[in-house]
Amino acid sequence: MGHLNKRLLLLPGLALLIYPLLPGASDYVLHVMTLALIYMVLAMGLNIVPGFCGLLDLGYVGFYGIGAYTAGLLTIHYGLSFWLIVPLAALNGALWGALLGAPTLRLTGDYFAIVTFGFSELVVLFLTNEIWLTRGPLGLPGIQPVTLDLSWLRPDWYFEFYDKAPNFYLAALLVALVFFVMGRMEDSRLGRAWYAIREDPLAAACCGVNILHYKVIAFSISAAIGAMGGCFYARWSMFLSPDMFKFWESFLVLCMVVLGGLGNIKGALVGATVLVCLGEVLREVLAAAGLPPETRFMAYGLIMVLIMRFRPAGLFPAIAASGRANPLLVVLGRRIAAGEFSGEKDDARGTSA
Amino acid sequence: MLEQQLINGLTLGLIYALIAVGYTMVYGVIQLINFAHGEIYMLGAFFCVTLITAAGLPFYVAMLMAVICCALCGILLDIIAYRPLRRAPRLAALITAIGMSIFLQNLALIIWGSRSKPFPRASLPAYLSEQALVMGQVGLTWLQLFIFAVAIGMMVALFLVIHKTRTGTAMRALAQNRTAAALMGINVNAVISFTFALGSAMGAVAGILVAVYYNTLYPTMGYTAGVKAFAAAVLGGIGSVPGAMVGGVVLGVAEALGAGYVSSLYRDGVAYAVMIAVIVLRPSGILGRAAIDKA
Repeated sequence: MGHLNKRLLLLPGLALLIYPLLPGASDYVLHVMTLALIYMVLAMGLNIVPGFCGLLDLGYVGFYGIGAYTAGLLTIHYGLSFWLIVPLAALNGALWGALLGAPTLRLTGDYFAIVTFGFSELVVLFLTNEIWLTRGPLGLPGIQPVTLDLSWLRPDWYFEFYDKAPNFYLAALLVALVFFVMGRMEDSRLGRAWYAIREDPLAAACCGVNILHYKVIAFSISAAIGAMGGCFYARWSMFLSPDMFKFWESFLVLCMVVLGGLGNIKGALVGATVLVCLGEVLREVLAAAGLPPETRFMAYGLIMVLIMRFRPAGLFPAIAASGRANPLLVVLGRRIAAGEFSGEKDDARGTSA
Repeated sequence: MLEQQLINGLTLGLIYALIAVGYTMVYGVIQLINFAHGEIYMLGAFFCVTLITAAGLPFYVAMLMAVICCALCGILLDIIAYRPLRRAPRLAALITAIGMSIFLQNLALIIWGSRSKPFPRASLPAYLSEQALVMGQVGLTWLQLFIFAVAIGMMVALFLVIHKTRTGTAMRALAQNRTAAALMGINVNAVISFTFALGSAMGAVAGILVAVYYNTLYPTMGYTAGVKAFAAAVLGGIGSVPGAMVGGVVLGVAEALGAGYVSSLYRDGVAYAVMIAVIVLRPSGILGRAAIDKA
C-alpha cells in the first residue's frame, strides 16, 4: 500500500516535469510553477531551524534578501557566472547566519525569534537606505539571466536562460539538490543531534551534544539555503527591490513549513505548492471582490491558527519527529489500551491505594 | 534643539511604555509573546475614530468606549486563540500569536481600507492643539501634556492594581508559579483573561493617543509600534512592569535623538538595533531578574 502510494505520487510529479516541453505550455503556469519551486527551496531551508531544532525563525527572508542582492550586485558589477555566484551567495548567507546566530542562539526560543525578526527588518532598512549600493527603493534592474557556458565542449554551446522552461528546470534541479542534501543531513549525526536538541535540550547536553555549536550550524545551513534561493530568484526575475523582502515573505515561508508539518521535508514541498497555488487563486478572487491583494494574508493567518489548534503537527506529521508519534510508542499504546498489561495495571492500582 | 528632541522622545517613549506594559504583563503570566498586541493597539485607534465619525460621540466618551471594546477583544483573543494551547509546545502558541496578528491586521485592512485616515480633528477639544508652554525655541503643546498625564496616570493606576488589589496579587502569584497559584484556589483562566483585558486597554489608549498625536491611522500601524514596544519591554526586562515603563521612555528618547542627530532614515533601525544589542549583551534587561534559561 505504502509503496503503491509513493509510485502514484511520483506520476503527477513527472507529468509536471514534462509540462514545459509540451507545445501548448502556458508561460503563466510555468511562472507559477517556478515560483513554487523557489518557495520549496526556501521552505526546506527554513524547516531546519523550527522543524529540526524547534527554534522559531522569523527573519528567514533576511537571508533570502542577502542572497538575492549578493547575486544581483555581483552580476551587475562583476559579471560573474551564476555557477560561481551560487556558492558565494550561500557562503555570504552562512556567514551572516553564523554572525547572528553565535551570540543569540544561547537564548531561549522567544528571544531568538525576536532577534531574527529585528535582523530581517534591519536588512530591509539597509537595502532601502544604502542607495549608493542597492539603489534603494528604485530597485536593482537589469540583472543578467543565468547563462551556461559550455563552449569548451562545443563552440556553439552557449546558452542564456531567457525562456521560462530552462529556468524551470534549473529551479527543479536546485530543489532536487536541496532535497537530497536535507534527506542526508536528517539521517546523519547532525540531524540526530538537532532532533535531540529539539526534544530535550538538557538531555541532549547530558549526552555530550554541544547545543550552541549544533544550533549555529543549523542556522547557518538554513541561511545558506535561503541565500541560494535568493540567488536564483535574482537571476530569474532580473529585478530586485527591498519591498520583496519584507516580513510577509518570512511569514509565508513559515506558513508553508507549518502547513506541511514542522520537521517534515516532504511536507515543506507540499506546503509550498499548496500556498503558492492558493496565493494565485486568492489573487484572482480578491481582485474580483475588489479587495487589495494583501488581504490574502488573512487566509494565511487563519491557516496558521487553525493548524496549530487542530493539527499541530501539520498535514503530514513527521513520523519519527514527535515522541508520541513514534511507531514503537504507538504500538505500545495500542497494546496497553487492549489490556495486554492489565495484570501490571492492577498491581499499580494496588500499591497506590 | 536638544530640549525639543527630548520632549518629543519623552512623548513617544511614554506611548511605547503603555504598549510595552501589555506585552510584559502577558509574558509574565503565560510566557507568551503576544504578537497580536500591536493589532489591539491599532484596533483601539480605529474603534475610537469609527465611534466618533459613525456614532457622533464626543472624544472622551469615544475613547472610553474604544478602550472597553479593546479590553473585550483582548479577552476574546485569549479565549479563542491562546487558551486551547495552554498545554501545547511554546512554538505552537508563538505561531498562533503571529497568525492572529496577521489575521487581525488584514481584517482591519478589509473593513477600513488600506489608505491612511486623518483623525477627526473637529471632535477634539479645542485646547489640545494649542501651545501650553513656550520657552525660547522649545514648545510644549497641551496635547503632549495630555499624553503625559494619561500615560503616567494609567501607569500609576496599573501599579496600584497589581500591588494593592486581590486580583493583582493573583496575577503576581501566577507569574511566579502557575501550578502553585491554582492550588491556592486562584481561578487561573479568569486571571489570565483579566491580564489580557488590562494590557489591551493600555494598548488601546496608546493607539488612540498616537492617532491623535500624528493625526493619522492605518491598518498596519500596529506592526512597527508593536515591535518597538516589544523592544522596549525587552530593554526594561521582560516580565517586569516598571521595566517596561523605563524601557519605553529610554527607547523613545533614543529614537528621537537617533533620528535627530544620526540619520532619520534609520529611525526604525534604532529600535531594532537596541533590541538586538540588549538581547545579546544583557538579556535580562535594565530592571529584569536574570532568570533567563540559557539552555
